[in-house]
Amino acid sequence: MAEHRVGNREEWLEARTALLEREKELTRRSDELARERRELPWVPVEKEYTFETDEGTKTLPQLFAGRSQLLVYHFMFGPAYSAGCPTCSAAADTFDGGVVHLNQRDVTFLCISRAPLEQLQAYKRRMGWSFPWASSAGSDFNFDFGVSFTHEQQRDGADYNYRPVRLLAILEAGVAPEAIESIAADVGTDVAGYLTELPGLSAFALEDGAVYHTYSTYARGGEFVLGFYPFLDRVPRGRDEDDPPENWIRRHDEYGDA
Amino acid sequence: MPEHAVGTREEWLAARKRLLEEEKQLTRRSDELARERRQLPWVPVEKEYTFETNEGTKTLPQLFDGRSQLLAYHFMFGPSVEGWPEVGCPGCSYTADTLDVAVEHLPHRDVTFVAVSRAPLEQLEAYRRRMGWSFPWVSYGNSDFNLDFAVFTEAGRRTGTGFNFDTPKHADIDLRNEELHGLSAFALEDGVVYHTYSTYDRGTDALNATWQLLDRAPKGRGDDFEGWPRRRFEYPDGA
Repeated sequence: MAEHRVGNREEWLEARTALLEREKELTRRSDELARERRELPWVPVEKEYTFETDEGTKTLPQLFAGRSQLLVYHFMFGPAYSAGCPTCSAAADTFDGGVVHLNQRDVTFLCISRAPLEQLQAYKRRMGWSFPWASSAGSDFNFDFGVSFTHEQQRDGADYNYRPVRLLAILEAGVAPEAIESIAADVGTDVAGYLTELPGLSAFALEDGAVYHTYSTYARGGEFVLGFYPFLDRVPRGRDEDDPPENWIRRHDEYGDA
Repeated sequence: MPEHAVGTREEWLAARKRLLEEEKQLTRRSDELARERRQLPWVPVEKEYTFETNEGTKTLPQLFDGRSQLLAYHFMFGPSVEGWPEVGCPGCSYTADTLDVAVEHLPHRDVTFVAVSRAPLEQLEAYRRRMGWSFPWVSYGNSDFNLDFAVFTEAGRRTGTGFNFDTPKHADIDLRNEELHGLSAFALEDGVVYHTYSTYDRGTDALNATWQLLDRAPKGRGDDFEGWPRRRFEYPDGA
């Protein structure tokens, strides 16, 4: 007998139909929040940024590639890294196949990281991805949109996900230090070198030659790009992770047999 | 000036922080529903099904491939799908583009993922190669697998109707010979297979990260769905 409660089809159907109503409410609420995001004021981006791309140096308006909307995934690949963050790499496994559909919806999608372009290109080849990836090395872009931190900010505090954080204090407080150390070693640096970057997604609009910042999301607000979690939320045992989550995510070419 | 409201950084930040609280509530609510799904009773699957796979004919317990959990994505590929017999449904293909590599992470959580369709295995294989996908894809052929995991009453099984828990929106679908889009979950314990969960229609929205990305773009999903989404080689500058 299963340890889990076993029922007949009628019992399941009754419980499932009741849950369906709550699922529908969640979908409607999610649609409502999408509408609220579109109602945020647009903020003109007046600073000039330059990026290194496969087609040479580009400005922010040029990154739109002729479309009116731009989505930037802030992929954690900092100047001290020798490989991209494994969790961001799992996100890339998800969004890589969606880019062509977004482009048809007047949305340009790309990743931006602070590592030099050649390193991003080499890592992208290794992982077999095709999305465009630009380097913001030497630019304030990732700092201004809340995903890169100087060593002073790590020590003295900065905002991440719309609230103040002191990244080094978190470590000193002993929150999952082993997990963070192991990921830092995995990307080829130490904890301070690893935590110059955090993940996020930013959205921009281009109209009459002016770029507007419309939205940014961080932390679990960007969890939807990890495309396997919605599937795990529907299997019998769920995500089955500890709290804080154990560090199980690997690059797709680094799993042993499972 | 754009037609959209323009604001200062301070105005944006105040509105964004209010929205953040609502987003956090949504995330917590989503976690709560995931917990509720796990509390549904498990229903033993007593019928025997066979599937054609790349490794020969398999039963439902064999599809688990040594793991304890199975997800079956009901990919619409059958005679009622536009483009038959060469190609699968455009909407399912759009979803498959983002789930393809993402599902490679699932075996490491003791979950086997397979796509399941009515079309014969050779057609599934040819289309999978054309699209460059790597997920496993099996044919349920002439079995009742899709019907049995789409309608759950005796009356529904007799007429093939009642898709998505009797939604009026799709009351005219006859699942005995038409296709559906959905996801079903199963558990295997002590040699017994249990059906645990199924979801359809917009219940699968969250499985497609492209929808979620559009929900964060300045203009959203848009409202003109003529010619989008398509199979990606069908776009004007298709890849």
